[in-house]
Amino acid sequence: MPRYLLAALCAFGSISSSHAGDSLHDRIDGLIAAGHPNFAKQAAPLADDSEFLRRACLDLRGSIPTARETRAFLADPASDKREKLIDSLLAAPEYARRMTHHFDVLLNERRKDVKVLRADWEKYLTHSFTANRPFDLFVREILSADGVDNEKRAPAKFFLDRDFEANIVTRDIARLFLGRNLQCAQCHDHPTITDYKQEHYFGIYAFLSRTFLFPKANLPTAVLAEKADGDTNFMSVFDKTKTQKTTTPKMPGGKPIAEPKAEKGKEYTIAPTKPTVRPVPAFSRRALLAMTLTADRNFARASVNRFWAFMMGRGLIHPLDLDHGENPPSHPELLDILTDEFIAHKYDVKWLIRELALTETYQRSSVVPTGLETVPEDRYLVAALKPLSPEQMAYAIVQASGQADADRTEAGAKAEGLTIRKTLPISAVFAGPAGEPEDSSTATLDQTLFLKFGPVMRDMLAKRPNSLVDRLSKQKDARAVAEELFLSVLTRKPSAEEITDVADALKAKGDPEAIHRELVWSLMASGEFRFNH
Amino acid sequence: MRAPYFCNTAAHSVNRRAFLGTSLGAAAALTPLGFASAAAAKTLQKSQKRVCVIYLSGGASQLETWDPKPNTDNGGPFRSIPTSVPGTHISELLPLSAKQAHRLAIVRGVNTKENSHSPGRTIMLTGRRPDPAIQYPHLGAVSAKLLGSESDTLPGHISILPNAEGASNKSDAAFLGPKFAAILLGDGKPPANLLRPKTLTEEADLQREALRKKLTDRFARSRRSAATEAYSESFDQADQIFRQADLFDVAKEPAKTSDRYGKHDFARHLLLARRLLEAGVTYVKVSHSNYDTHHENFDFHLEQMGEFDRPFTAFLDDLQDRGMLESTLVVVMAEFGRTPKINDRYGRDHWGTAWSVALAGCGIKGGAVVGKTNANGTAVTDREVNGGHLFHTYLRAVGLDPKKNFYPNDRPVPIADPAAAAIDEILA
Repeated sequence: MPRYLLAALCAFGSISSSHAGDSLHDRIDGLIAAGHPNFAKQAAPLADDSEFLRRACLDLRGSIPTARETRAFLADPASDKREKLIDSLLAAPEYARRMTHHFDVLLNERRKDVKVLRADWEKYLTHSFTANRPFDLFVREILSADGVDNEKRAPAKFFLDRDFEANIVTRDIARLFLGRNLQCAQCHDHPTITDYKQEHYFGIYAFLSRTFLFPKANLPTAVLAEKADGDTNFMSVFDKTKTQKTTTPKMPGGKPIAEPKAEKGKEYTIAPTKPTVRPVPAFSRRALLAMTLTADRNFARASVNRFWAFMMGRGLIHPLDLDHGENPPSHPELLDILTDEFIAHKYDVKWLIRELALTETYQRSSVVPTGLETVPEDRYLVAALKPLSPEQMAYAIVQASGQADADRTEAGAKAEGLTIRKTLPISAVFAGPAGEPEDSSTATLDQTLFLKFGPVMRDMLAKRPNSLVDRLSKQKDARAVAEELFLSVLTRKPSAEEITDVADALKAKGDPEAIHRELVWSLMASGEFRFNH
Repeated sequence: MRAPYFCNTAAHSVNRRAFLGTSLGAAAALTPLGFASAAAAKTLQKSQKRVCVIYLSGGASQLETWDPKPNTDNGGPFRSIPTSVPGTHISELLPLSAKQAHRLAIVRGVNTKENSHSPGRTIMLTGRRPDPAIQYPHLGAVSAKLLGSESDTLPGHISILPNAEGASNKSDAAFLGPKFAAILLGDGKPPANLLRPKTLTEEADLQREALRKKLTDRFARSRRSAATEAYSESFDQADQIFRQADLFDVAKEPAKTSDRYGKHDFARHLLLARRLLEAGVTYVKVSHSNYDTHHENFDFHLEQMGEFDRPFTAFLDDLQDRGMLESTLVVVMAEFGRTPKINDRYGRDHWGTAWSVALAGCGIKGGAVVGKTNANGTAVTDREVNGGHLFHTYLRAVGLDPKKNFYPNDRPVPIADPAAAAIDEILA
């Protein structure tokens, strides 16, 4: 049945597979199942414990589990161990670190510090996610920050480290918070996307255009200031009549905000009587941006879509920044329900992530069933592969190699700092260019040579008390070596064939420690390690 | 290894392309080295076009190189000398290059309207003014993408720098993807981590690669993952470069050749560039530093041009001797020129208003001089061009159409600035 008909029928409730009384995660699964004929027969089974454990740890902790954790989880007979694992991951401090990495790259795009220090920004993010700050309040804070109060300067990084370049800020706000890439609509209505109009772009721009960096744009201590006047005019480069249009601040498709007409002489709370005075208008357009945007349903929709992609590997609207009429969501009713529920739950991020993690959709295996000829990209029959982010790769490597374990053995409570420092050169190699949305799915020569021959990776293979190479040297036979190796690096038990491979490798002449090192390397360099599956 | 499950699907080519950043070209049947046959490899090389940019970092002075104004108030102490092209004179600091003038095209009317290093660099390497809305790819990435081929075993874009401290290649390929970003060679040394570490024997390397491959293949099959396959291929590609590691070792050149270039850093770097270009690398940029002569402009240029003159001419002769000159575009550029006005420290400052670029090789009309500046070099009087015109010219010289588009995310982006056009006067 064509998708649009299915959606239409669902809207009438006649074959809806989602009932308001069920938990959200059950409703999600119902709608996913309804989204493809013969879903139950065609879909992959649930991931096995190894697959699930690794995936959940990477997504919610930002690293792989230790060998000990893996053994314990695999051996645990409790029927609710997956739910317990999800809860323990969400309660751990590493959850906030993982979200900090993710949102730092998303919002700051690896830009060098210009006006806000990285340390302060990271602290702000970590605090926000530890406290599980409601997502709308978090974004509101970022979009209303002016950098004046030093204690509250960190959230202003979004604006300040873009040098408050109004076009860049407009473009990024639309893309990140409203799921719309309006870049092309700066100069004209979007040539191919009818829903993206120049007035949408400038409606957002109008919130920002009266704002400027004060006292001087290039000062690292600059703050935001705002004039009380200034109109936003625009013209399409395609318009031969060169008609000038104008707009007041508004969300795409929304109503213009109500702007009180100030009495003459009362436009400012603090008037710019001298160039050294930071003006404060009686009515601030920029202050309204935060409230207006986070109250817009498109914000909830775009946010929920991003969290869905964060967990599932692909947005319900794909790509994440092309939400428009001719690119409908793969599961429209589902997206609407998620949006409604996120709003109803006051943008509770942990709640949302927990619900997503509890779905069968999230827990589905990524192994393609042998009967399945083609795997559609958007039906969730099989879990998607997600390349590890640079931070995930770095943390996974220090954990897989056991250097993190060795740090804990060596330094106890002080280990975390040591381990984090070890991750930095690794994530630097895998990091994308500054100022661009990050795409972790490419391999460059530098990265490959780094993995193959680089000294950082050689150091990961070092034998220190409790590192993996050290633990392998203490195993009694090839089988035990293979188990410790696979459980530590790939979070699973080796197959019979793999045990044979390891046994064969161990028979080679030469230093056993050297053989152990390169066994660890082979697994860390494998595709299975590189991807979150 | 070919995995048939996904080969002909659109998703596969998109995945592969995304992971390797390669273009959607038809791949020749792959042998271990990626060529259909050794003979085909040779023919491929002969018809392949290459580009070499010599980047005089800091901003070389046009008055001390290609457009001298002796005996004027701004001219400075150096004279001009005749060249192998009657009527054309260049600075006396370039006696050997003067003898090569019949191979060079000199553009004297460059006005990029930009006096800052970073934007000037962007203009000269991307042919566009810096634009907050979009990052354009550097000439190196464009060349590697459009002139390179899927079967190339060497990276298509290499940048040789005096030292790689703080250098980054992260933004030079822009939307073309990281595959076309420059491999940075600091002081002309091989790419970082190219050589097998001492703690890893060849045998151990082969064994561990075999196990890595086995695991990856098994995984890729069970997930039908083209992206994983592409990831594994990146190791094969690295291996191919590793096996050609000698290419990066300039010491392997016969003494006779290296003597012609000289023994100093720039000489070695330019010799390395020739080695790489000869082996099939599509684009090599060699940076020579430091031309930012705000003080002691004349002493520095005396020294710098001394370092430049001999290797540059040896390079052109070398390309010619190897039959490579007609298929290799050579460009000598900087981020801008230097002010005619001499400051109080005997220096010249940044000057994008009236300066020069020199070209040679593929598609270039030797002996051509286009553009004029006034008597004391303060303005362009004839045939003013900017970075956009130059970029068009480079592309046309190597047989590419600068009016075409790239399509990042299905959005048309002209390869060169549509407001500019090639400088026909210097195209052969």
